[in-house]
Order: sequence, then C-alpha cells, then structure tokens
Amino acid sequence: MATSIINADKSVIATHKKKKKKWQSYALLFILPSFILYTLFVIVPTVGSIYLSFTSWDGISSDVRYIGFANFVEIWNSPRVHNALKNTMVMTISLVLLENIAAIALAMMVDKVRWFRNLFRSVFYFPTLLSGIVMGFVWSMILNYNFGVFNQILDRIGLGSYIVDWLGNPKYAMISIILSTAWKGAGYYMIIYLAGLQGIPQELNEAASIDGANGRQQFRHITFPLLAGSMTVCLVLSMISALKIFDQIAVMTDGGPGFETETLTYIIYKVGFGELRQGFGTALAMVLFLIILIITVIQVKFLQKREVQL
Amino acid sequence: MLKQTMTKLSVLLLATTTVLTACGGNNNNTTGNATNAPDSDTPATEVAKKDVSFTIGYASGDPATKKAIADTVKKFTEANPNVTIKDLSETSSAAYLDWLKTKDAVGEFPDLVEMRDTQVFADAGKIVELPADLLDLFEAPPQVEGKVWNAPMQVNAPQGIIYSKKAYTDAGITVLPKTYDEFIAIQEKLKTSGITPLVVGGKDIFHMGFWVNKFLIDDVYSKDPDWNSKRTAKTVSFTDANVVQAMTDYKDLFSKYVDKGWLSTGDNQTASILVSGKAAQLYSGTWMFTQIAEADPSFEFGFYAIPDREGKVNVIGLPSPAGWSLSTDAVKDADKTEAIKEFIRFFFAPEQYSVYLATINAIPATKENVTYETSEQMQVALDLVADPNVVKSLAINNWWGDNLIPPQFRNWYYKLLQELVLENGDVTDYMKKADTEYDTQVKANQM
Repeated sequence: MATSIINADKSVIATHKKKKKKWQSYALLFILPSFILYTLFVIVPTVGSIYLSFTSWDGISSDVRYIGFANFVEIWNSPRVHNALKNTMVMTISLVLLENIAAIALAMMVDKVRWFRNLFRSVFYFPTLLSGIVMGFVWSMILNYNFGVFNQILDRIGLGSYIVDWLGNPKYAMISIILSTAWKGAGYYMIIYLAGLQGIPQELNEAASIDGANGRQQFRHITFPLLAGSMTVCLVLSMISALKIFDQIAVMTDGGPGFETETLTYIIYKVGFGELRQGFGTALAMVLFLIILIITVIQVKFLQKREVQL
Repeated sequence: MLKQTMTKLSVLLLATTTVLTACGGNNNNTTGNATNAPDSDTPATEVAKKDVSFTIGYASGDPATKKAIADTVKKFTEANPNVTIKDLSETSSAAYLDWLKTKDAVGEFPDLVEMRDTQVFADAGKIVELPADLLDLFEAPPQVEGKVWNAPMQVNAPQGIIYSKKAYTDAGITVLPKTYDEFIAIQEKLKTSGITPLVVGGKDIFHMGFWVNKFLIDDVYSKDPDWNSKRTAKTVSFTDANVVQAMTDYKDLFSKYVDKGWLSTGDNQTASILVSGKAAQLYSGTWMFTQIAEADPSFEFGFYAIPDREGKVNVIGLPSPAGWSLSTDAVKDADKTEAIKEFIRFFFAPEQYSVYLATINAIPATKENVTYETSEQMQVALDLVADPNVVKSLAINNWWGDNLIPPQFRNWYYKLLQELVLENGDVTDYMKKADTEYDTQVKANQM
C-alpha cells in the first residue's frame, strides 16, 4: 500500500516536472527573439567596444590599429577629461538632490491636495513626457539673452540689472542646465514617491498626531523612513540618468561656454563623432561604464542596508 | 491541444519577428524598377530613364544656402521625374563635420555630399575622385595629392564687417577705417553712442572661426601660408609673438565690444539682432547679405574688409578643396553615379547656378561665365577678390597637404578661445595649452 502511494507520488512529481520543463521550453522560445535582438544590438557592440577602446580607430576608415593602453593613459592625463569628470560629478550630485527633494515635495503636495488632484499630477508629470531635445530647445529660447522671455520679464518688472546670458555665462550655464533638467525629471520621480506615500498606513500618522507629533515630526519619523524603498529606486534611477545627461547639453550649450558644461557623455560624443577619434571615445565610454557600475553598486548596497535598518 | 496552440503561437511570433526585421533592411539604394546591384553593362542612355534614388547632404546651418540648394534639388527632380533625391541635411547641425561623421556612423553617409574636410574623408576612403567628365566644368579645381575630389560649389568669398549705415551715422562715423587702430576707434565711437558695436553668433562654433581667422590671417597666414605645417613639425608655436598678438587682439575686441549674449546667440540670429538695431555690426561673409535683406528690406547696410595695423587688407579668398563629392558607396551603383553626375551638371548649369549664387551672394567656380545682378555690398566683395593688392588666404582648417591640421583641433581651439575671453585668461598661458593639445592630437592621429 505504502509502496503504491510512493509510486503514485513519484508519478505525479514526474508529470509535474515534465510539464514544468515544457513550460520552460515555451518560455525560452518566447524570450528567444528578444534575446537575439538584444545580443545583436547591445551585447555584441558592447563587447566589440572593449576592443575598440584599445585602438586608434578614427571611426570612418578601415584602419583599426591596436595601441594598447594609450587611450587610457591619455584619459588619465587629459585636463579636458578631468574637467568633464568634474562637471559630470557636479551635475550628478546637484541633479540627484534637486530632483529627489522636488519630487518628494511634489508627491506630498499632490497626496494631500483635495481638489484637482489628477490635474496637479498631470501638470507635474507632463514635462517628463517631453524629449530632452525638445525641452532643450524650449529652454534655450526662454533663456536666450537677446530674445528670451525670461530676460524680457526681468526687464519689464524693473530687474533689468539682473539680466545675464544664462546659457553663455560660465557662472550660470551649469545652473541653467541643472534646473531645467530637474524641472523635466522631478515629475517622474514624483509618481514613484506618490506610490510610496499611498502605501503608508494612514493610522500611523493619525496615531502620531494623537500622541502630539507635529507635521515635521511625522514626516521625519514616519513618512521619510517608510519612503526608503521608493527612495532607493529614485536615487539609483536619477543618478544613472544624471550621469548620462546629453540631450540638454547638446542643444542648450554644446558643452560651452568654452568647456564649462562638457560632461563625460558629451565628450564621448564630441571626440568619437566630431573629432574622429572613435577609439578614444570608446575608451572614455568604458571609463564611464565603470564609474556608473561602481557608484550604482555602492549606492544600492548602502540604500538597501538603510532600508533594512529602517 | 495546448502544445499545438503554443507551437503555432511560437512559430507565428518568430515569423513576425523575421518579417519585421526584414522590413528594416537597407533601403538606401536604388528604388522602384532599379535593382540593388550595379548594372555597369547597361548603356548610359537607357540608365538615365531608370528610376534612381540617391541621398544628398550639405552644410545647412545658413538658411539661405539651405534654401538655394533645396530649390535646385526640387527643380532637378521636376525635370527628371525618374530621379528621387533624399535630402539628409539638417539645419540644426552646429558643426558640419560632427553631423557628417554621425551620418557615416549610422550608415547614412550621403551619396552626394558637400565635402569640407576633403583630405580626411579621402584618406578614409569615403569619397572618390571627381569623375573625369565633370572636370571640364571648372577652370582649375584644387587638388589634394594631385587628385581632384570635389566639384567646387563657389570660390571662397571674403569676409568682412557688415554694418548698419544708420548706426554709423548716429555715431558720427563718416569714413571707413584704413587701419585696424581706426577700426577700434570706430568701435569706441559706436559704444559711446549707446549701441552694442558687434553681434557674434558664438553658440555656433563655426561662427567663432570668422573672427579667429581674421586675426590669424592678419598676423600669421598672410605672412606665412605654411605656418600649419611648421607647427606640426614643431618649428613654430602658438606662443610665438605673432600668434599671441593675434589672439590678444581677438581677446581685447571680444572683451570690450561684443554683445554680452554672444555665447548663446546662434549664427542664424545675428541678422535679426543687426536689423533690430541691437547691434551695429556683424563680421561674416557675403551669404549673409540675402538674409539681412530678407529680415528687413528697408535696412541699409554696408560691407568692408577690416585692414590690419599696417593698413593692408587680408581676406579669405584662396581656393580650397571643398565642394560636391561622390561617396565611395554611391559609385558602386552605375545608375546612381550617372544620376549624381547629371545633378552636378544641372547644378552648375548657368540657369540654376546663377540663382544659387545670387541667393547666397557667392562667386562662381565654373569655367563658364555665370552672371547675376549683384548688390552694392557684393560688389565690394568682388572688388576685394579682384584686387591684386589684397592678400588672399585661408582659415586654419581649410589648408591641406602638409598644412592640414588635426581635424578635431579647430573646434577645440575655438572653444579654448571662448574660455580665454570668459576667464580673462593670460593669452600666452592659453596658447601653451593650444600647443599641448595640438601635439597630442597630431600624435593621436599618427597612432
């Protein structure tokens, strides 16, 4: 009797395993087209780039010469690359902070508002839908020294002495790019934070309120810690996005004035495509890849640890 | 049953993917009845009747040039309905070389391309020599290493000051400058009168070249046309007195007399700023005359070349290897090659060419005499070209052979010079940076 039960169990398990195997085969079959395309257009070029970073290829000729670590030595010694790295870091830190602070503020505001909630959500989210190029053109026109709306408003309200070349002055060009990019990005992170806020049980705030906690204390001890999960996602996404910033710079300043807003991604494009140094550009891309990888790993580990602690 | 359904679904998915992938295949070659493979055995007369398609690319940062070429393309396709020309040019491209290189990288290098960095692309095997049967269109087209690669679209025209006559009158300026110091005195008068003396479209990096090369030509190239090759050989330096003087003059002028918004002003905005009376002068080329006249037909303006300190006039005006080139890929297709050659002949035919020249106020490059009605300002430019006492030269990046600079150096140098003004830097220190970068780029190109 016991033997037959065991045999029946074995048979059920075997059938189950067989079915599972079949489903896995189907799953793999469905994944296959995407996998092939992804391999062809992402994996293969990426691996190919590793080799190109050790060459002096100009990007147009068939002459691809191996030059060892010469590109990486030049990166190490190049003041232009150092400047781009500095700009990238300044821009990344500023953008991550600004976008996330603005996003949390907007999310809390939208979460609390009673009337026109969907309208506010849409209005704050709308800039996210614009492409970086379009947004760059719009802000370029707004901030134009001679014809821009912003300077004209300053002039009309009697603040003509504050008129400056927002995109041509080294003091303001970087700030202008950071603010306009944060304006575009904050709405996206707002949605993630809003989802996080709506997942916080209302009873916690009510209990805290009964215990006499004011709004600031409720935010500090309840809302902020419970947003840790959303924050991990938003900080990582905004950091990667900021490190890769390109469109706005290309349209608004072309890396200028001088080299004031040239970032790593922009210099990769400039040297790779504009200056006919694909090998050097690829080496720079490898360096950027490593930077993003290292920062992301550290950031995720730190934030996940924080999530657990909270 | 489930198995059958899943299998059908899988096959359908794979088939769809394959079909969609095939849809994205290369459609850059001939279309319609023409086949993708070259058909060199087919007689030319028969080929001309086939449906043919080719792509065209040119520097279209200047709207007048864009319009002039687009009009010619339109007329050609109307006259030759079997030929389709796909215009790849984009007006927003600030640096033409960047755009062209990007097009090449994505496999869209134009079949017929306006070539400016001829030697670079010829060395890379991207363009071919101009077909021999087109050579007779031109008097003496410039050669690189003994070969003609381009159908020159026009002769290099001089650049100079385009000034508002009203602004000059208001500032009490009645006589045009005979030396550079007199020119500076005029700037001072204009500034005192309350108008911004100069508008500069510094957002477009090529526009920087107008001024930078004016000073380089006065102090360097007019006296030593082989300076670039000597710099490559390290026998001269950017820190030499003549270059430092040129860049000091540039820095002084930009620090004192240029519109404060020069770094966020695009080249295509300069005409508006000039005619609106926000600035009194613009340093540019003859192609701007049409734009200015169109921006405000009642705007009265004049044109002159800025003399150097000794009173000599030096302008851009030497021939350089630039113009229409055929891509290496295009000539693999006999039909396409024939259509492109037809287009080039059409472009340079006096009926079309005169309109093109008139639109951008250019000087003809063809052997055949082409005339058009010139404006007062254009006549000044033509007089400069014809005057044997006026020294003709080229911009830093337009030389070739041993005088070819690393292709990436030009934009970098212009940006460095923007920074020089913004940071109020020491000219000699900045020129040391230029020396270092130049040597680095020469070395990188030799690897």
